[in-house]
Amino acid sequence: MRSLILTAVARIFFAIMLAGSVWVLLRGHNEPGGGFIGGLVGAAGFATLMLAAGVETARRTLVLHPVVVMGLGLALAFVSGVPGIVTDASFLTHQWGSLAGVKLGTTIVFDLGVYMVVVGGVLSFMFRLYEEDPA
Amino acid sequence: MDLSTVLLVSLAGSIAAPFVVARTGAAGGWIAAALPAALFAYFFAQIGAVGVAPIVDVVSWVPSLGIDLTFRLDGFSLLFALLITGIGTFVTLYASSYMSGKPPFARAQFLFYILMFMTAMLATVSADNLVSLFVFWEMTSLLSFLLVGFQSEDEKARKAALQSLLVTAGGGLALLAGIILIGVEAGTFSLAAITANPAPVLESPLLPAIVACVLIGAFTKSAQFPFHFWLPNAMKAPTPASAYLHSATMVKLGVYLLARLDPVFAGAPWVGATLVAFGGLTMLIAAVQALRAIELKAVLAYSTVASLGTLVMLIGLDGPVSSVAVVGFILAHALYKATLFFCAGIVIHATHETRLRALGGLAKLLPLTAAATVLASFSMAGLPPFIGFISKEYLFEAKLESSLDTIAVIIGVLVNAVMVAVAGVLALKPFFGRAKKPFEVEHGEQPGMIVGPILLAVTGVAFGLVPSLVAYALITPAAIAIAGAPFEVSFKLWHGFTPMLALSGLVVALGVTLAWFWDPIHVALRRRRAFDEVFLDRGYDLVLDRTMALARWSTKVLQNGDLRIYAAVVSASVTGLLAYGLLVGEGPLLPAVAGEPVRPYLLVVCALIVAGCVVAAAVPSLVSAIVAVGLSGYGLALVFLLNGGPDLALTQFSVETLFVVIVMAVLLKLPIVARSSRTRGERWLDGAVSAAFAACVLVATLWIAAKPFNPELTEYFAVTSVPEGFGRNVVNVILVDFRALDTFGEIAVVAFAALGAWALLRTGASAKRPRKEV
Repeated sequence: MRSLILTAVARIFFAIMLAGSVWVLLRGHNEPGGGFIGGLVGAAGFATLMLAAGVETARRTLVLHPVVVMGLGLALAFVSGVPGIVTDASFLTHQWGSLAGVKLGTTIVFDLGVYMVVVGGVLSFMFRLYEEDPA
Repeated sequence: MDLSTVLLVSLAGSIAAPFVVARTGAAGGWIAAALPAALFAYFFAQIGAVGVAPIVDVVSWVPSLGIDLTFRLDGFSLLFALLITGIGTFVTLYASSYMSGKPPFARAQFLFYILMFMTAMLATVSADNLVSLFVFWEMTSLLSFLLVGFQSEDEKARKAALQSLLVTAGGGLALLAGIILIGVEAGTFSLAAITANPAPVLESPLLPAIVACVLIGAFTKSAQFPFHFWLPNAMKAPTPASAYLHSATMVKLGVYLLARLDPVFAGAPWVGATLVAFGGLTMLIAAVQALRAIELKAVLAYSTVASLGTLVMLIGLDGPVSSVAVVGFILAHALYKATLFFCAGIVIHATHETRLRALGGLAKLLPLTAAATVLASFSMAGLPPFIGFISKEYLFEAKLESSLDTIAVIIGVLVNAVMVAVAGVLALKPFFGRAKKPFEVEHGEQPGMIVGPILLAVTGVAFGLVPSLVAYALITPAAIAIAGAPFEVSFKLWHGFTPMLALSGLVVALGVTLAWFWDPIHVALRRRRAFDEVFLDRGYDLVLDRTMALARWSTKVLQNGDLRIYAAVVSASVTGLLAYGLLVGEGPLLPAVAGEPVRPYLLVVCALIVAGCVVAAAVPSLVSAIVAVGLSGYGLALVFLLNGGPDLALTQFSVETLFVVIVMAVLLKLPIVARSSRTRGERWLDGAVSAAFAACVLVATLWIAAKPFNPELTEYFAVTSVPEGFGRNVVNVILVDFRALDTFGEIAVVAFAALGAWALLRTGASAKRPRKEV
């Protein structure tokens, strides 16, 4: 079911979708979007690549194993709550500061964690489902 | 030093000790024993201060729920702390000698469990907050599970460990319920505050429930009838662990808690009567079983059960003397029972013989052990001048003074006579009796193993000869702590010619007779199989078997592997509940909803959704059904979008897209041409369940829409979103900031669900093509 056109276009699609997912992730705090939706879009991007260029290519592009991505995401979300313990004695109370006039908070770390859990979670079994099965 | 710091030291030491032991070989035990010894020294130094006023240390934990790590050391806690650390020192020494033949890892592991167990025990007896007490209480259950099942290659040990965990942790759950009820009624979880003002608990209509829950918790922990069976099985633990569990520690926790709550429950006389009844029954059963037991450790275990029954009975008795008797007996019992277990361990270690009747003539081979056993068992028999004698005098005095004297005294005389017999047989037979076969002693008496029993046995004599050593420093503060009010305590050896002395004489005479005819009585009782039926763990096995049978049955019926059945059962149950709720609810079934006029384009979208649903239910082809479901999904996303929920719509679109991709993957693995697995009738049934579900949800939605909308939360989030969360997208701010912990929990669930699915697919794949990873 490999289509030459699809394969050729897929990489461009993938790049656009991945960029879009990151954009959705980052704008999430003020506009519709956020880690969860971004993660779903990102997973859809990888799914496109997988359908067009094969599971192995998609796996290589992700670099890390999806389960590892998921675990890292969970760890990131946890870590984002730690500064709150130090300053407010309360886990997951987000801290804010500004860098070069842009307000930045630990929420972005948290959202990135959500993003990674969703991407890793979806891809962990999607890759497995599409894997070539000689048997 | 604060109490919390001391406990932290104990914890840190317990964690560090195994590393030390694993590296230092034979001397490791002596180094590890420094920890409990140092703790003992600390608690010993507190005797003076505690005699004046309890030491209190508060560490904030969950103050909003009234749950704090409050540690409070009064006379009673101090007595326990001294026993736990003192006997803990000898147990540590003994254990490293006892396990010296084992590989270093096993030794270190065992010592780690023992020291952690000690820490948990210390925390439990010094906890003032009932919730934190419960947490430590359950820690002791877990650690005793690990200790009992330490020889995990032995199936019986595993079974006994599981049994002790199921019984004690199960009882722990009841205790938790009781604690929460007490907290709700009293308005505080502080033990000290509750005992100081027991009225709210006593006058509560929930008192019977509270008492039942607490008693189940205490009875399971302290092996009272009908939960007495687990303790003798728990002797499958290595002997140092049995010595610890039985003498000073875990099994006494139930007694500890009952004694603590005694000032509260004293206001309800039926609680005391219940305690006397269960304690008495436990004593009698244990006495019969002690006479029937074959193995050395089993005899000791049943005598422990009898002692625990005695303590429960004493707590149930009224009168101030009973608290002196409780305290005295706890001290005396800990001293002699630890010694006896240690000695039994030495005998078993040296001879590899566990049956009491096979042992004999060991006095020449193990002279120090024989001496310690004789001293300890004389204390157990309640002979002067041992501390066991004084405590037994108090025991009888408490019974005579109580309003429930007759029954208590009769049971007391009978059971104590058996204890005298047990003591006599234990002390005399293995060491001075004729041996059935000649024994060769393999290890002899190693210093680490013998020092504990000797010192403990001698302490028992010293406290008996000079009771003033403990009377003012330990017994009085402890007795006052559990009686709840100060009173004069006399704890001395000679009381003059009293009724108690006469009863003691009677007990000894009966006991000696029993010991004399031990063999024929033992054989006769063993022949009565009926005792096995009534007294052993048949009930436990029955409950366990029935539970497993129920699980198998429900698995067969509900988890039969057919996804259609799962979905149907879940949908039908939810529908039933919803329908029930809607039918019994107030108001008209179909309320009139006032609101904006219906927009025509929404109607079109809704028609699309409905069409998708109908097609999905009707078509036999799987692919068509999936397309139809997708149609409904996208339609729903449109509804969200048109009603001002862009976040939801975006999510729904993404999910629908991914869903199609995933289903395609599944279809790739399925046969291309497959007939629909459902028959026509089944399809109608599924359709009916779905339609009923939809109808219920529709009605419920109408109900919700008919309720006046409460804009409080909306306004709150709209106002606070930017200043406190620095974001204009309220949905996202709620997700990542206001309710971040919820989100964290949810992504954890997502992660674990994905991990589960991944692992399932992985096993499926690897079964087909072995050893190809990633």
